[in-house]
Amino acid sequence: MNLMHTPNDTLLHIKRLRKCHGQSVLFDIPDLTLERGSAYVLTGVNGAGKSTLLRMLAGLEPAEASACVWLGQRLQLSPYPPQMRSAIVYVHQHPIMFSTSLEHNIGYGLRARGVAPALAAAQVEEAIAWAGVAHLRASNPATLSGGEKQRVALARAKVLAPKLLLLDEPSANLDGAAREQVIRLIPTLTLAGCSIVMACHDRDLIKLPGVLRLKLREGALELR
Amino acid sequence: MALLAACSAAFGLLWSGDATLWNIIWISVKTCVIALLLATPPAVIIGYAIASYRFPGRRILIWLAQAALALPTVLVGLLLYLLLSRQGPWGSLHWLFSQSGIIAGQVLIAIPVLLAFTIAAVQAADPRFAETAIAHGASSWRVMLTLLHEVRFGVMAALISGFGRVISEVGCAMMVGGNIAGETRTITTAIALETSKGDFAQGIALGIVLISIALVMNGALLLLQGDAQAARQGWK
Repeated sequence: MNLMHTPNDTLLHIKRLRKCHGQSVLFDIPDLTLERGSAYVLTGVNGAGKSTLLRMLAGLEPAEASACVWLGQRLQLSPYPPQMRSAIVYVHQHPIMFSTSLEHNIGYGLRARGVAPALAAAQVEEAIAWAGVAHLRASNPATLSGGEKQRVALARAKVLAPKLLLLDEPSANLDGAAREQVIRLIPTLTLAGCSIVMACHDRDLIKLPGVLRLKLREGALELR
Repeated sequence: MALLAACSAAFGLLWSGDATLWNIIWISVKTCVIALLLATPPAVIIGYAIASYRFPGRRILIWLAQAALALPTVLVGLLLYLLLSRQGPWGSLHWLFSQSGIIAGQVLIAIPVLLAFTIAAVQAADPRFAETAIAHGASSWRVMLTLLHEVRFGVMAALISGFGRVISEVGCAMMVGGNIAGETRTITTAIALETSKGDFAQGIALGIVLISIALVMNGALLLLQGDAQAARQGWK
């Protein structure tokens, strides 16, 4: 297959993505294809390499691949290409808040991209309303609960309008209303045209309508 | 009783606004502040780089920075003396027996303290801070500023320890400064001189000032660290 002729709706296509620890191979994926505006859950037992795979896609871990096509453009994964850096956002399982205000946290990436302050402020307000965290405005972000931090982190990512959002166990360690609030936010992201890959075990996330399932098993990736 | 008399004379000197005494204090504080202003930006940036990036020789640099904490200040003084003396490679600067010479010595003495503390603070930071910054598109420079902001209490501790080290050192200031009255006489060199002359009152007065400066600086750090702890407790 000629990689330069991937269909128009393909966001990312990586051939032969490998991760080795010394002699042992954690995973060796012949073909990884992510479509535009699609949501994927990435499942697999603990230690299968789900977080590592997300972190490689986010450029937070060195990646070894034979070819990578991002939006029809052939790129090298190492060093991590700026085209992907500006369009892919990764959110930790336990997101960390900078010790600044809530607005400052959510607007972090906008400032990093040099967005004009007035425009950034408007986008931050929109993201605050989307995530339902307006009542937390006066709180110290470091003191928020797990669910609140997850929602602020989603707002911090969403405000950048990423083409691909990588979420590491977004609903893990959350229960009750906090978990439901986070799960409710996720489909609205794909509606906005964002592709999502979530590493998770949460059945409610796996069963969300339109969500495709990727399973890492014994070093291989299966699409279910 | 001699001690009591010397102490009361010392307070008398301090309250009377003795010009010589206050000039010595001024020279000490001025040289220390300038030295720290010069040493802090490069030391903090280099400390951050050593803590954050993997490169060959990194561990050797950490080892050297930590070993340099124990470097006797007279040795720094000797080295600078040789460099700055008329026949030395930097003799043309005419810094020997001048405040510039003292500042150069203090910069060299402060750098290992600032480096070692900054390295420790940045290494202790939660790696998610840098990763979150990177994942949200921050440039290397912005990642550094973000991380240094998160470890600002550690950097502040570096600064205060550096200040403590340079304002209290005597060996280098004596050798490179020369203890010239009104020019290069600092609090510590003056204490050494007055004690050798048997004039304890001025020595004690300067000692009181030195301790007061240390108390104020460390009190400020304690207050700031108290705030940091409160924030962390809230976070848990």
